[in-house]
Amino acid sequence: MKPFPQPGAVTLLVVILSTCLLLLLFQKMIWLVLPVLLALLLYYSLRPVVDALVVYGAHRETAAKVVCLVQMIVAASLLVLVLLFLSKAGASQDSLARYLTGGQNLLKKSTGALERAVPIFQRMKLSEQVNDQHVRDFTDKFVQKNLLPISLQLLEWLPSLLLVPYITYFMLTDSTRLKKYIIKSVPNAFFEKALLLFSHLDTSLQSYFQGLLVLTFLEGTTLAIGLSLVGIPHALWLGFAAAVLAWVPYLGSVVGCIMVVLVAATDFPEKPGMAYACLALFLGVRLIDDFIYLPLTIGRQLHVHPLLSVLMLFLGATVAGATGLVFALPLFGVVAVIGETVAQVVTDQRLRARYRAARQLAALCERI
Amino acid sequence: MRFFSAETNAQKVKMLKSIPIFHTLTRKEILEVDELLYERVYEKNEIVFEEGDPGHGVFIVVTGKLRADPGHQLLKTALLDIGPGETVGELALFDEGPRSATVVAIERTVTVALFQAEFSTLLMKNKSIGVKVLVELARILSRRARQLLQHEKHLPTL
Repeated sequence: MKPFPQPGAVTLLVVILSTCLLLLLFQKMIWLVLPVLLALLLYYSLRPVVDALVVYGAHRETAAKVVCLVQMIVAASLLVLVLLFLSKAGASQDSLARYLTGGQNLLKKSTGALERAVPIFQRMKLSEQVNDQHVRDFTDKFVQKNLLPISLQLLEWLPSLLLVPYITYFMLTDSTRLKKYIIKSVPNAFFEKALLLFSHLDTSLQSYFQGLLVLTFLEGTTLAIGLSLVGIPHALWLGFAAAVLAWVPYLGSVVGCIMVVLVAATDFPEKPGMAYACLALFLGVRLIDDFIYLPLTIGRQLHVHPLLSVLMLFLGATVAGATGLVFALPLFGVVAVIGETVAQVVTDQRLRARYRAARQLAALCERI
Repeated sequence: MRFFSAETNAQKVKMLKSIPIFHTLTRKEILEVDELLYERVYEKNEIVFEEGDPGHGVFIVVTGKLRADPGHQLLKTALLDIGPGETVGELALFDEGPRSATVVAIERTVTVALFQAEFSTLLMKNKSIGVKVLVELARILSRRARQLLQHEKHLPTL
């Protein structure tokens, strides 16, 4: 894929500001943004299948219906499997407390070992910092403050998630017509630029979403293999759950790592080495991710300078919290492509003159 | 309201089939190509594209007439008026080089445009359509090359 032209300083500033404003808007409308995002993810992963069926003689609508139906069956089966797994693992407030206690025990053992090995930690009374009362207070506050709102938020999102297959189906059948409909309203002078913009956006989004899926698969597989080698039960589930959590940059990876370490610390309280091995595995996978998987999948497609990526992530997190972290980079990529095209049109005297002349001609024709 | 409804009908298929680069396509293939075509209407004296513009696609005249005004003396001997069924800007389907002529509508003209990026995707997805369209495009380009050779006798024959 050809690298997209990089925007100039003023355009870049406008692009950053627009991205921040959009992130703010996304945060307010997350109930709608989330299903659209998931639908886009499905659209870009299912579109090649629909196209292949069309080439083999199927009607686009029929092909889209079949593919969406299969996708819904797969999603429903996965949901049932996840629910079964959660009920088997006993995912409730009690089990959360059990895992937190497991983590707390690991922390106590680790700080004790550190105190014995490094005298300065003993003088700092490190293990007293993680006493039972502190952790219990933290756990209770966390459950009261976050667990209920998160559960309510999930319940609030559930109906909007039902939109996902619906949006995906119509994107698969009508995206070309929608595009033609939009292009129809573009003046002749900007027609080719508009088509180019659509093409860049499509390529950019397709590469991003397909890259994201490949990255999740690679990361999930690597973690699952690593965890099963360490001896952690349900390695496949935990590996892929951590890989999906990693969709939230930085924060997601940390949460995934903590989740697996807590499982290891609780299921194997007498073997703290397993929890440390999980920690080491996550650090290793993080390095493989940053230096091999990410450049091979998403990083290659976005063409955003690493410094700018970090800046956008910070800005995204500041403006829109977790939503900002998830959307900052893809949204910045999309807004940059739009900003660059608009800047080209605005600064192109020839195009603007052609547009003015065409309007005068159209007015003249109407009078005649 | 039929905002995003399919507009392809029998008349449109017939019209597209009458265009030389599509005349070997089957009805089903025409319907697939139609999804990638953008209809544009140009008023008399309206510029379609200018010499030096980056080319992104080919324009096929449906009704009306376009006139090409190439800057290069050699190209002035080639086809200058482009009527129904004829194409202009074919080279843009193969590269994004600058347009070699300014093209203006000399009467109210309806065109359909095929965009280079979408054409490339179609070639990858459906090789049958790709081969048929490419053969017709090659015919058009070779005919234009022969026209140039006839006018410029000193050019070597390939």
